[in-house]
Amino acid sequence: MNTALIVGVVASSILSATSLLYATLGELVGERAGIVNLGLEGILLIGAATGFAVSALTGDPYIGLIAAAVAGAAVNLIFAYLVVERRANQLAAGLCLMFFGLGLSALIGRPFIGALIGGLPRLPLPGLAANGAGARLLSYDILVYLATPTAGLIWWLLFRTRWGLVLRAVGENPASAYAAGYRPASLQYQALALAGFMGGIAGAHISIALTRTWAEGMTGGRGFIAIALVIFARWNPLLAIAGALLFGGAEALQLQLQAAGADVSPFLMNMVPYLLTLLVLVVWGWNRQSVAPAALGRTFFGVE
Amino acid sequence: MKRLMALLTACAALAGLFAIGQARADDKPLTVGAIYVGSVNDYGYNRAMKDGLEEMKKNLPGLKLIEAENVPETAESERIMEGMIQQGAKLIFATSFGHQQFAFNLAKTHPDVVFEHAGGWMQAANFGNFFGATQSAWYPMGVAAGKMTKSNTLGFVVGVPIGYAIGNINAFEMGARSVNPSAVTRVVVTGGWSDKAKEAVAANALIDQGADVVTMHVDSPATIIQIAESRGVYSIGFQSTEARTLAPKGWLTGLGFTWGQFMTATAKSVIAGSFKPAMVRLGLGQGMMAVAPFGPAVPDDVRALVTASADKIGAGFNPFTGPITDNNGVVRIKEGESWGGDKMGNFDWYVEGVVGKAK
Repeated sequence: MNTALIVGVVASSILSATSLLYATLGELVGERAGIVNLGLEGILLIGAATGFAVSALTGDPYIGLIAAAVAGAAVNLIFAYLVVERRANQLAAGLCLMFFGLGLSALIGRPFIGALIGGLPRLPLPGLAANGAGARLLSYDILVYLATPTAGLIWWLLFRTRWGLVLRAVGENPASAYAAGYRPASLQYQALALAGFMGGIAGAHISIALTRTWAEGMTGGRGFIAIALVIFARWNPLLAIAGALLFGGAEALQLQLQAAGADVSPFLMNMVPYLLTLLVLVVWGWNRQSVAPAALGRTFFGVE
Repeated sequence: MKRLMALLTACAALAGLFAIGQARADDKPLTVGAIYVGSVNDYGYNRAMKDGLEEMKKNLPGLKLIEAENVPETAESERIMEGMIQQGAKLIFATSFGHQQFAFNLAKTHPDVVFEHAGGWMQAANFGNFFGATQSAWYPMGVAAGKMTKSNTLGFVVGVPIGYAIGNINAFEMGARSVNPSAVTRVVVTGGWSDKAKEAVAANALIDQGADVVTMHVDSPATIIQIAESRGVYSIGFQSTEARTLAPKGWLTGLGFTWGQFMTATAKSVIAGSFKPAMVRLGLGQGMMAVAPFGPAVPDDVRALVTASADKIGAGFNPFTGPITDNNGVVRIKEGESWGGDKMGNFDWYVEGVVGKAK
C-alpha cells in the first residue's frame, strides 16, 4: 500500500462523493415529505447541462452553478405539480421525469459540446503549500467544502425547526397534518423545490468541477445510486455523508487499484461500486424495522 | 366519425409526403447516410469521422449527406439507419464498433445498399469494414513518451479492453521500451468508451501513481488531456489531431484518423457500381492515419526520432515480430513469427512492461 495510492483514493473519493451527497440530500428532503422522485437522474442531468452551458456563456462558473440549481428546482417543480396537484402516480411520473431530463439536458447542452470552461476553481485551505500531497488532499472547489455543512444544515432544518417538523409530519401522515391546520401540498412543493435545487447543484458539480465537460447522459446512473443511498442513510442526512463516501470511495478505489497494478480483472473491478451498494443494502436492511416515512409514495387526496 | 376522418386524412397526408420525399431523393446522384456514436464536437473519434465525411462531400459535389449523432450501440441504430435508407441512402457509414451487428442485419435485407463499418470484421457482398491500422501507429507515440518521461511511468486510460485496444497499448509500450528500457505503462480500464467522470478519476489515479505522460484510447481525449494539463503532466492525444488545443503546454504529439481519402474512394465506387467489400486496415503512410503536430515541449532531437519511427512504420516495419513475452513472462509471439493486421483483434495479453491485467 503506497502513500500515493492512499492519498489518491482519499482525494478522489471526496471528489466523487460530493455530487452524490448533494443528490442524496435533495432526494432525502423530498422523501421526508412523502414524495419519492425516481427522476433524480434527470434533475442531475439538467443541472449538469445548465451549469456547463451558463458557465460557457458567461465565463463565470459560479453563475453557472446558481443557474444549474435554479434549473433543477424549476424542473422538479413541474414534477411536483404532476404528483401533488394532478395526483399522478409518483413512480411513473418520476421515471417520465428521468427521460424528460435526459432529453432536455441533451438539448441544452448540444451547442456547448466541446466548449472549454475554467470550471469551479480549486481553493486551497489557507496556509497550506500549493503543491505536493497537501495540494492533492486539501484543495477542492467550494462545493466539496460546503457538502458536509450542507448535510448538517439539512439535518438541522428537518429535526430542529418547526418547518422541518411539519414537513416530516406531512411525510408520515398528511391527513393529520391537514387536520392540524397545515397544507400538505404547500409543504411538498417547498420540499421538492429544495430537492431540485440540491439536485441541480449535484449535477453541476460533475460537469463544471469534476470533468469540466458536457456529454449526453454523463451522470452515469448517479441519480439512482443516490436514491439507494437515501435508504442506506435511513432518511438521516448525517448518515448520507457516510453513504456517499462509501460509494464514491469504492469507485475511486477500483480505478486507483487498477492504476497501481492490482492483479484483478478490470471487468470485475468496474463492478465493485455497484456490488458494494447492493451488499450494503442487503446486509443493512436485514431484520430492521422500516424507518421510511409512513406516507412515502402515497398520494394525499385531501379531505372533504 | 369526425375523429376517424381526421386520422385518415392525416395518414393520407403523411403517405403523400413520404412519396414526394422518396421521389426527390432518387433524383440526387448519391445519398450517403452516416451514424455517429457520440457528438461530432468531441475533439476525438467522432470529429475525425465527421472531417472525413466532409472531405468526401467536398470531393463529390452534389452528394447528399444525412447524419445522425449520438446513435447508441443498440437496436435503435438499426431503426435510424433504416430511416436513412427510406430517405434514399445508398451508402451507409456505421462509424462505431458497436453498430456492426445492426448494420449487418440491414445489409441482409437491403442488398442494394452498401454498408461500411468502422472497426469490426464482418463482411458480405454489400458490407465492408475499415479502420486505421492503429496498433503499429502507436509505436512512434511510445517513442515520444519514452523519450519525454522523467519518472519512467506512462499512463494509459482505455475504455473497453477489446483486442484492438490492447494491441494499441502493447505497441505503445514497445515503442517506449525501444528508446527507454525502464519505461513502464500503467493501464486503467473505465468500462465504457465515453464515461467522462470515470476518465477524470482514472487520469488522476495514473498521475497519482507517478505517470508523467498520459494517453488514452477512449472516444474523446478531451477530459483526460485537460486533467493532465491541470496537473502539469504531458499528454499524447488520440482519434483527432485537434485535441492539441486543449493542452498548450503539455501536448507532446498524437494520432489522428484521416478518413477522407478512403470515404471518397468508397463513394466513387458505389456511384460507379464497382464496390467490392474488403477488410481495409491502412496505417501511417497509407493515408488513413497521421501523426499530429508536436507540442512546444518536444525538443528537435525527439521530433526527429518520432518522425523517423513513423516513417519506418509507414514503410512496413511491424513491431509485433517475435520473440515477444507478455507481462507474466510467457512467450506469446515466437522467434521468427510475426502478427499481421488480421491478428490485431486477438490480443488478450499485455507485453512486458505494462502494469495491468488484460482480462
